[in-house]
Amino acid sequence: MKELRIATSLDEALALVADGYQPVAGGTDLVVAARGGKSELPDHVVAIDRLTELSEIDSSDGGLQIGATVSHARLMRDESVIDGFTALADAAALVGSPATRNVGTIGGNVMNASPAMDTGSPLMVLDSEIVLRSVGGERRVPVSDFWTGPGQTVSQPDELCIAVAMPDLPSESGSAYVRLEYRRAMEIAVVGAGAVVSLNPEGDGRVVGVSLALTAVAPTIIAVGGIADALIGRAIDESALADVAALAGDQASPISDLRASDDYRRHTVGVMARRAVEAASRRAAGASIPVPVNRSVGIGAVT
Amino acid sequence: MTIAETPRFVRADGPDKVTGSGRYTADMQLAGMLAAKFKFAEIAHARIVRLDLSAARQIPGVLAVLTDDDVPDVRYGAGLADRTLFARDVVRYEGEVIAAVAATTKEAAQAAVDAIVVEYEPLPIVDDLEMATADGAVLVHPEWESYRASPGVPRDGNVASHSSVVRGDVDQGLREADIVVTSRYIADGSHAAPIEPRAVVAQWEGDKVTIWTSTQVPFTARDGVCQTLGLPTNRVRVIVPHMGGGFGGKCGFHYEAHIAALARTARRPVKLVFTRREEFIAPDRRRESMIVDLTTGVKSDGTIVARRGQALLDNGAYTADSSFFTQLAVMHLAGPYVIPNVDIGAELIYTNHQPSGSVRAPTAPQATWARESHTDEVAAALGMDPVEFRLLNAVETGKVGPSGQTYDEIGLTECIRKAVAASETAGPLADNEAVGVAIGWWPSIPSPSGAYVKLDGDGAGQIITGAQECGTGSVMTLRQLAADELGMDPEDFQIVHQDTAVAPYDTGATGSQTLFNNGRAVIAAAGQIAEQLRELAADRLEASMADIVLSEGAAHVAGSPDRNVPIAKLARIASYGELLIGHGSGTPPSAPEISGATCAGDAGMAAWVAPQFSCHAARIRIDRDTGVVRVVRVDAVHDSGTIINPIGALGQVEGGVVMGIGQAISEGTVYGADGRQRNPALLEYKLQTAADVPEIHTQFVEIFTPDAGPRGAKGIAEAPNVPTAAAIANAVTKLIGRPVTHLPMTPERVWEAMR
Ligand SMILES: Cc1cc2nc3c(=O)[nH]c(=O)nc-3n(C[C@H](O)[C@H](O)[C@H](O)COP(=O)(O)OP(=O)(O)OC[C@H]3O[C@@H](n4cnc5c(N)ncnc54)[C@H](O)[C@@H]3O)c2cc1C
Repeated sequence: MKELRIATSLDEALALVADGYQPVAGGTDLVVAARGGKSELPDHVVAIDRLTELSEIDSSDGGLQIGATVSHARLMRDESVIDGFTALADAAALVGSPATRNVGTIGGNVMNASPAMDTGSPLMVLDSEIVLRSVGGERRVPVSDFWTGPGQTVSQPDELCIAVAMPDLPSESGSAYVRLEYRRAMEIAVVGAGAVVSLNPEGDGRVVGVSLALTAVAPTIIAVGGIADALIGRAIDESALADVAALAGDQASPISDLRASDDYRRHTVGVMARRAVEAASRRAAGASIPVPVNRSVGIGAVT
Repeated sequence: MTIAETPRFVRADGPDKVTGSGRYTADMQLAGMLAAKFKFAEIAHARIVRLDLSAARQIPGVLAVLTDDDVPDVRYGAGLADRTLFARDVVRYEGEVIAAVAATTKEAAQAAVDAIVVEYEPLPIVDDLEMATADGAVLVHPEWESYRASPGVPRDGNVASHSSVVRGDVDQGLREADIVVTSRYIADGSHAAPIEPRAVVAQWEGDKVTIWTSTQVPFTARDGVCQTLGLPTNRVRVIVPHMGGGFGGKCGFHYEAHIAALARTARRPVKLVFTRREEFIAPDRRRESMIVDLTTGVKSDGTIVARRGQALLDNGAYTADSSFFTQLAVMHLAGPYVIPNVDIGAELIYTNHQPSGSVRAPTAPQATWARESHTDEVAAALGMDPVEFRLLNAVETGKVGPSGQTYDEIGLTECIRKAVAASETAGPLADNEAVGVAIGWWPSIPSPSGAYVKLDGDGAGQIITGAQECGTGSVMTLRQLAADELGMDPEDFQIVHQDTAVAPYDTGATGSQTLFNNGRAVIAAAGQIAEQLRELAADRLEASMADIVLSEGAAHVAGSPDRNVPIAKLARIASYGELLIGHGSGTPPSAPEISGATCAGDAGMAAWVAPQFSCHAARIRIDRDTGVVRVVRVDAVHDSGTIINPIGALGQVEGGVVMGIGQAISEGTVYGADGRQRNPALLEYKLQTAADVPEIHTQFVEIFTPDAGPRGAKGIAEAPNVPTAAAIANAVTKLIGRPVTHLPMTPERVWEAMR
């Protein structure tokens, strides 16, 4: 017999999780995987989607703290996300369909830990931390340490993800997330890339800070090493973008599967990387590119 | 007429579908109903060495477990009887049913399925269309010669059907040609992918069974049950509740007999509802993969002199209704062109894949994609504009087509001109955009069909028809025909349909034939009532019957609208005397003649009744960095004869275009070396979504077509699926400089072709 408990407080949820209950938020991974026969529904499940403690988007302490049960639909429309952490809104806006976005949560996306998760690269380049809590207390794990393999994280079974937190970007910064889409809804990232670019406040167009992360080309989301060395001090021009693409392609270790071959992924992740860096730098320079970037670049663009 | 004119009326089942009040087969609940589950082979080719049901039978709640041992020894199949309800000794594809279970809950049924023990001796996988016909190839059906088959279909080993059209002298023609172009194209198989997975409910009362099933062809389903379970037609009643789409995938007889047999054994009603995965792997209806070779010779002035061609079609493990596909493929490799010398053949080849069967315009999207891509290659070799090349060579009124049929008035060249002109109104092309143009054709299928019409005492009408509604809306349009015949409003009629015990025969929602044939039946049935009404009115209005006109709900004397009597009043009078009941069927139009061609494996598809013609111009945009193609606009122009219900016809074209886009760029079955599908799921089998739908601009070239459907109409449902992929392909070629020779033209394949 399966049991579903609907938690009415965070403490209750934490106690149940400590007792071996598995959390479910939107259920768009957990329930869909069970229905699809991929993995059986756990015997004991606790629903956390009604916990108001987990549904806040808070910028009062500087930076942004996003509650675990905030939906993709809210992320893509929230002014503070769009203004300061645009890549995350770009990603949220691409998830599934309106129905998936209304139900699916950022906490679920993070904890499901798919290498193709869309919020992963944005969280990585935005230097985020995952806030975990158990009955024993709270800890914060940098995303760069958080995912350890497909479906695997450093989180313990008795821990809930309660939020993701990220610091404000320096001024003259922009971020963007781009993914390869074969169709314009109900898609899964074949490859994707997120970037943050900070430009010299003097306005000479030179890069003073940059980070780049890649989606679906390794067992987890990966940060591209050496990107700062490659770009700092340069303007984002064709030659810089070619270097970005090459660097991304080199560091990708994609698999071949039904969605694409490793060759094609290695090539297209370079394309996504350069588009993400270009869009981020344009946003850094004050250009307004609506969310999601995918609808403005390449042929995903709306006419 | 243009389609901008006000539509006649909107389909009657729309509100039910939108509000959720429509009841589908899966929604049915009957007292004591059991759940059914199947044990599938889950291996593509193997001999069953042990099948142990004992553990399954012990599971609490299990009331029936059936295998081949429990049903009559019958081999069935539309053109070729190569199929049994349950696997017998050997399984030939992964979705073959080994056993069926009925239990009090789905979970118990599944547990019983899981408890069935099957041991296999694996057999070699036959999955290569060329190797399957080589000497010494493993036979999918070693006993093929013993199967009962339609006469005149050549078969041999793994070749389940062969046909060819030979006319003139191809060798001589190719020698006389100034330029000869040879191409090879390969198309993957694809799926109908209806959103409603199939469902069947069966309930026995005494020795009669009622079966509710999501089929497009209730009479075929009924006949399959009768044949396999040994029952007369009047003891099997098939009813189709609301359907959530079929697209050909629900043509044919599928699982109705399995569920009826379970219900009989368990003495309880039984319901089967497929999962999405089962819907992908099991039914014997998917679009066949194909290898096409074409060689065409042209004179330097652009006229085609000869074509040699061959298509290999993947039949899969059993021959659903696909025997005639070879001849259809031949016709599409020839295409609607004047070609004096042709030698084109096609072979339907057994493999250990899921069986192929009618999916919306079987063989046409793939074969047309190959032929029209080849056509652009030929035009390019000539240095000729591909549209001019088509206008020069296309069949037209009075011309003789490749199979020797002479065409009456048709509008193909007008379709081409209009589609191209319309696409040019969309403004200049960006440097990553191009327009591709392709033409297509498709037969109208005459067949017997029947209907009753009655008017009851209050003047309300009822159409009782054997026709079936799979979402095409064509059954709805029958109301318009009855209303026009009787001078009434379509809203005055309700329809009782898709019930084999109640209505006369119809072929079903297949072959674009519903309005084409059942329209004739309804007009004839309504016509009988019109006669009765005229007689009654003539009596009352003291006029001669010949002078009575039925219009706007009344009968009046011609020329004197004031001398009238409401039809409702006549109906009341009739309700006390001779009732207003009409029945109709009419004679289907007969096949035209052909001359000068020899057809091997003739399935009656070399000459087409009321052929439909079309031209699509697809404007696409390419992402040169990734190979992703997006269709931004399609101009579709169709000669489908008279258009009876414009809004319905438009819906067919738009749906067909979107389905065609999927087949062009995203939909394809991927098979593993083990002969099993690798993407039987909607995430990995990529249908187009609403967000992907481009602008679609449709025009009809309306030509009253004699010897066709009602009022000079031809079919329309399949035609829009025919040239869409081809038009997109020709646009892709323009942008990347060479054709993508593998369908679907996925981003990665486009990218490979660009490299
Ligand atoms: C049709 C469809 C389309 C999709 N498209 C995309 C897409 O484009 N991009 C994408 O990235 N994803 C996509 N997904 C996947 C999914 O929607 C997202 O990953 C979503 O964010 C998951 O959130 P959820 O709340 O539904 O997670 P759930 O299914 O509720 O949970 C997922 C996992 O995380 C655990 N979990 C959830 N919340 C917490 C928490 N607070 N603390 C600890 N563990 C927790 C659960 O136990 C479970 O293991 C799609 C899914 C579907 C069904």
